[in-house]
Amino acid sequence: MTDAGTIDVLHRNNVTVSGNPTGPTLVFAHGFGCSQETWSLVAPQLEPDHRVVLFDHIGAGGSDASGYDAKKYRTLDGYATDVLEILDALDASEVVFVGHSVSAMIGVLAANRVPSRFAALILIGPSPRYVNADGYRGGFEQADIDALLDSLDANYVGWSRQTAPMIMGNPDRPELGRRLADSFCRLDPVIAGQFAKVTFLSDNREDLARVTVPTLVLQCRTDAIAPTEVGDYVHASITGSRLVVLDATGHVPILSAPDQVVREIREFLS
Amino acid sequence: MSGSIGEGWFDRAPCGLVAMSLDGVIRDVNDRFLTWTGYRRDDLIDLPLASVVDAGSRLLLETRVAQLMHLRGTVDEVALNLVRPDGTPMPALINAERDDETPVVRMAVFNATERVQYERDLLAARRAAEASGQRVRVLQELSTAFGLTATDEEVARSFAEAARDAFGADETAVFLADDDGELSLTAGVNPLAGRIAPVPSLRETEEVTVVTADDLDLPQLAAALGGVGLSSLSVTPLLAESVRLGTLVCFFRGSTVFDTEYYELQQALGRQASQTLVRVRLQRRLAVLALHDQLTGVANRQLLQLTLDEAIVSAVERSESLSVLFLDIDEFKNINDGFGHAAGDLVLVELATRLTQSVRAGDVVGRIGGDEFVAICAGADGDAATAVAERILAICRTPIPVPEGVVSASVSVGVSVFRPGVDEQPAAEQMLNRADSAMYDSKRAGKDRMTMSVPS
Repeated sequence: MTDAGTIDVLHRNNVTVSGNPTGPTLVFAHGFGCSQETWSLVAPQLEPDHRVVLFDHIGAGGSDASGYDAKKYRTLDGYATDVLEILDALDASEVVFVGHSVSAMIGVLAANRVPSRFAALILIGPSPRYVNADGYRGGFEQADIDALLDSLDANYVGWSRQTAPMIMGNPDRPELGRRLADSFCRLDPVIAGQFAKVTFLSDNREDLARVTVPTLVLQCRTDAIAPTEVGDYVHASITGSRLVVLDATGHVPILSAPDQVVREIREFLS
Repeated sequence: MSGSIGEGWFDRAPCGLVAMSLDGVIRDVNDRFLTWTGYRRDDLIDLPLASVVDAGSRLLLETRVAQLMHLRGTVDEVALNLVRPDGTPMPALINAERDDETPVVRMAVFNATERVQYERDLLAARRAAEASGQRVRVLQELSTAFGLTATDEEVARSFAEAARDAFGADETAVFLADDDGELSLTAGVNPLAGRIAPVPSLRETEEVTVVTADDLDLPQLAAALGGVGLSSLSVTPLLAESVRLGTLVCFFRGSTVFDTEYYELQQALGRQASQTLVRVRLQRRLAVLALHDQLTGVANRQLLQLTLDEAIVSAVERSESLSVLFLDIDEFKNINDGFGHAAGDLVLVELATRLTQSVRAGDVVGRIGGDEFVAICAGADGDAATAVAERILAICRTPIPVPEGVVSASVSVGVSVFRPGVDEQPAAEQMLNRADSAMYDSKRAGKDRMTMSVPS
């Protein structure tokens, strides 16, 4: 890869590297609806003994979407390509990839393509397929996904406007403020719509069986987006994987139960 | 609460008010919220908010809104659909803020039925405009592309590229029919080549047809699609007056929405490509007509000129000799006078045919004047040209039957040769003139013979 290419990738995905450069590399990938800020409560706790890599998917946060190629991002493979390009640009090896929500599957795709780069996968609230199919319960019908896309359209205006950072009632967590920038959870509405479509209409069930790197699945007790039976399915499909059910509800334990998430990551890696 | 503002201002506030736990479970609501939504208070308390919105809103709440509430502590003007007990939706705009101290999430709900309907209409109008705008753009681009094209291959290539861009297809392939109606790949890529036999029902379809990897009607094709990681394909016939010109196939990897717009745009593209194919084929026929002699069908003066210009350049590039034969029918005026002009025309046609048969493959024969013909023989040196000329002289002596009797004709031939590296590069006109004057030498020497022009 040329120098110019390296710079482009790191700029394109707004890659930030922090933490301990001598520690193992942790790459955090955000899910649908936010940007790398979503790791604000998890990543800092791992910085003392890890090299922490954060990035924004194309169209999210501080990414540079000027070169957005609709064709490339028509499937999650395009996003997995970005991940591999970032690892290439950073010359990162033995990577522990931590993916939330749809990024869990993006990590699976990337690790299946170049397993040698990855030491482990940590999948938080993964779902290989959101839409129900014969004998498979993803939790949603096609009509539900269409309704989401409509609902994204209804929120189009709000999304294109830049959201100013504003923190309420978190005096104990000054680290939140440190990371907040203008790009805070900003989404390009058009790309976000396409990302939603690709995410919620994807079917990556067959990719799970091809995973060869050690994998941890973190699942919330109740999660409307990735129900427990989906977590069980992922766990059963990835040979040798470990499943931990967090004592948390909802789809974003990385924000609602960050300490538990950190504890499980540490235990799995030790 | 002060008496001056009256009791119940909270319940009668002109917006719904909801208090929730930090993880979104409803703790209290005001009367306005109950009036709007049709729930009873007891139905709602301890229910997650997510359970009284539609699935699309739930997805949005659990992803985007949940993360914003944690990180930013507040959301403004989020549009979502509440669902009433009878299942009807109530479009709403919500503002919410999170208070970790209390802890509580406070939410204000505004009935947005009218506004949302209006926005939906606007959105539908915008989508329709965008779709038709896209269609017009694609067709315009195609028209421009085809305006410059001349061959079937070029039309097919433009069409394959335009379709790939317009539909976001991963691959496109254009198959055109040959004279026997057999389709073969003319442009683009066929990812299924060699993996499945042609499917007659698709090759013969008269309408845009979509096949997906889980298609039960065409299990072999569906399996072949899956085998190369494709999810679907669409086939668009190229028809002109019910004559099958070919088909366009678009291949997709990811999930693709085949809606009415898709079918209509495919149809429009198919029509455009069919018309263009018909047009360029017609143009090609006109071009052939314009460069050929109408009576005899051999090249006319213009085509001879073009061919000779190219042949001279090519002779230099390849260092190969080039010969030009100039032929004139002996006593053609007497044939016309004795047998009539119709017979004269028959003689011209017959001699043109014999000439064409006498030259070598690749040589070009043309009619340059009333009874004058030219043969351009690339790669022929003096000996080869002499051999061709002798063959012509012999074959032309065979009598020609016409309705009025039998014509005994002969020709006089002059030959000029260009030897690159030996001779100076001539202009086409010079080569023709030299062959012409050699032909006159043959006439003067008694006709029915050939003369080799002496290189200058």
